[in-house]
Amino acid sequence: MSKNKIKNLLLDHTIEILLVLVVIIMTVATPTFLTPANILNIFRNQAMKGVIAFGMTLVIISGQIDLSVGSQVALSGVIIARFCQDLPAALGISTDAACVIGIAAAVVSSIAIGWIHAFLQHKFNMPAFIITLASLNLLYGLAGRICGGFPIANVFPGWFTQLGVGSVFGIIPIPAVILVLIFVICYIVMTFTTTGRSVYAVGGNAESARLSGIHVFRTKIIVFAAVQVMCVLAGMMHSAQVASGSFSFGRGWEVDVISAVVIGGTSMNGGIGKPWGTLMGILFLGVITNAMTLLNVGVYMQYVVKGLVMVMAVFLSMYQAKAKA
Amino acid sequence: MSILRTEEISKQYPGCLALDQVSVSFESGKVNALLGKNGSGKSTLVKCFSGAIQPTNGAFYLDDEKLSFHSPSEANAKGFATVYQEMSLVPSLTVTENIFLGKMPRKGRFVDWKKAHKMAGEMLASMGVKINPKEIVSRLPMWQCQVVEITKAMSLHPKVLMLDEPTSSLASSEVESLFKVIRELKKQDIIIIYISHKLHEIPEITDTITVLRDGKFVGAVNTKEVKHQDIISMMFGEVSIRQRPKELKVQEGTVLEVKDLCRKDKFENVSFSLRKGEVLGIAGMLGAGRTELLKSIFGADPYDSGEVWVNGQKAPRHASPITMKKLGMGLTPEDRKNEGLILIHSIQDNLCYASMEKTARGWFEDRTMRNRAAEDQIRDLQIKIPDKAAPVSSLSGGNQQKVVVGNWLNTNPMIMLYDEPSRGIDVNAKQQIFEIMWKQAAKGISTIFVSSELEELLEVCHRILIMKDGRITGEVNPDDININELYAYSMGDTDE
Repeated sequence: MSKNKIKNLLLDHTIEILLVLVVIIMTVATPTFLTPANILNIFRNQAMKGVIAFGMTLVIISGQIDLSVGSQVALSGVIIARFCQDLPAALGISTDAACVIGIAAAVVSSIAIGWIHAFLQHKFNMPAFIITLASLNLLYGLAGRICGGFPIANVFPGWFTQLGVGSVFGIIPIPAVILVLIFVICYIVMTFTTTGRSVYAVGGNAESARLSGIHVFRTKIIVFAAVQVMCVLAGMMHSAQVASGSFSFGRGWEVDVISAVVIGGTSMNGGIGKPWGTLMGILFLGVITNAMTLLNVGVYMQYVVKGLVMVMAVFLSMYQAKAKA
Repeated sequence: MSILRTEEISKQYPGCLALDQVSVSFESGKVNALLGKNGSGKSTLVKCFSGAIQPTNGAFYLDDEKLSFHSPSEANAKGFATVYQEMSLVPSLTVTENIFLGKMPRKGRFVDWKKAHKMAGEMLASMGVKINPKEIVSRLPMWQCQVVEITKAMSLHPKVLMLDEPTSSLASSEVESLFKVIRELKKQDIIIIYISHKLHEIPEITDTITVLRDGKFVGAVNTKEVKHQDIISMMFGEVSIRQRPKELKVQEGTVLEVKDLCRKDKFENVSFSLRKGEVLGIAGMLGAGRTELLKSIFGADPYDSGEVWVNGQKAPRHASPITMKKLGMGLTPEDRKNEGLILIHSIQDNLCYASMEKTARGWFEDRTMRNRAAEDQIRDLQIKIPDKAAPVSSLSGGNQQKVVVGNWLNTNPMIMLYDEPSRGIDVNAKQQIFEIMWKQAAKGISTIFVSSELEELLEVCHRILIMKDGRITGEVNPDDININELYAYSMGDTDE
């Protein structure tokens, strides 16, 4: 009985154990790894994909997927940049006001796109995989149109760039703070609220959920919109960090985002998953990437390793499900 | 001519003797009906013939050759083919591919399409039907799919062909077309075993009738020489029926009124009313439209016309389960695994899904209320569980059904709709489910109870509606009718 308990405990916390192992190995391997500056650096680097990963966790738990996230990162960046560039002259308002309007426009359009994803999936029973794959192209094209194919640089007001490069108390990067904040919100929603419960129910068995009088469509709108809004947040941080907006931002991010969620133990079949797991997945990927950089592993080899980690993660979750059953 | 016979064949399952020294025989060139109610052992017997299970004792002989099969493929090799009631066709492939699935004729390494289509065409023609072998199966009407299924079985050149409820998914207009095919098959020298719940089909298509009851052989007769009533009493015997508590009285006041409800191809002009504290049964065979009716009343499926009134309030035209839940209605679906439960989630969660809003303060769930709601149901419904955090998939069928019921009782419903709540659960659990219904009725909750086990309806209900081919064809009082009459009535016999 207790042997079983220990086994289940190990199975439930495989990702934490692996993360600690990698940290220990790296601490021994290079003295520069376990320093406050490097750890905070990992958080900052992971912040943008990380916030999207929390949105993606909701989507995947509800039994859906959103492959368009990378393009929404680019789109929101160029929308805000474009507003900052053109509005002050056109309307005679300050850059600050133009930037705020730009952010609002990006958020509204992202919610609309999330709603469309949910609508097409729910009403016509189209696979989310295909719908959002189409959006991946569509939004990328729109972003390219809006910025005219070139980065829109040096248009943001000072406070906006702080989102990417600023820090709290002169040391903690603002993106890291945002990442933790989003984790806390995601954790609260998924653990304590009826919305979170509905997300699990819809992903566990949408028909049972419907027949239990749960708002299935509303739940899908919430998750699809949430991940898109997270993309706007990530797009803001990224544009702020490089002080420009470009259609090329966020290209291929969906792979790392989905990796983090899967490594965190969320089931691709829906109904199972935890924000804490995703946080671990984000950090695990961050630590591995950081370690490879510190150890001078080439960029192509890094892709190979990240690919292998993802396969391993899926294999592990299959094994976990089997071992516990 | 060939003969299939069994000699004192028995099958012992843990805690249940499914077949008890059954000796029967079936002749070729005839359609032999094998009848019996649920649990009579007829499926077990067919499973022995098809190689799915092995008998514990006894043996069966085909033309005096003793046979025993360890797998379905062995049975196939010996000339035993089965057409099951669930379709086993691949809908996206052509008729030809389905008939020769896994054994397509080849020319060298490649499939010989010309020959395949020609062979399939000839086989279909020999059944007396015109079906294009190149057609995709999903585009065929139901009865033609069933014919393709039979053709596929016939491609094994069987000596014994078992048809398990071949008409269960057919519209009544399609049944005659299938019968033509079966009559054509009779001309070939094969033994046809025909299993059906639709008793009115039996005289039309079969030549002999063999009846099993409670695992025992009851009798075999020629179809022509027997009356309908005799078959029914052979099938059901003398049934002792426990009655609902006498003190359970229907109260004043109508809680649900269904007026002229129609849904195309499902049900027509259904009208009835339900009073406070009443347990109303709906009797009918599979495919009579009972499940569809309940789902439309509950807002889970749409309806074309008609009205549903709950407590004197008209339900909106396009109501959803969410609306109906608010009006005080609950439904335990027929397919509890796929529609009633979220199997991967815990017992606790599954007991609180329908009552999610009731066990929350605003946006936030109230842990104490959720725990109490789950524990109350576990205690009241006597759900046997190791731990309420365990996944609901780990429970037995009966306990799973109680979780589905508990999920809805937590919403404090006024009207409960139960769709086949006793399917696939043991006798003990059934009794408990019925007691739950009575207990709720005593509290003033009204119940609609749908079952194809008509004995249960007699036992449980105040009043029974008969549903047949999508229509309410009658209403009976359980005190005035016996089980044989009820069966005859709901199978559509009006000759008594």
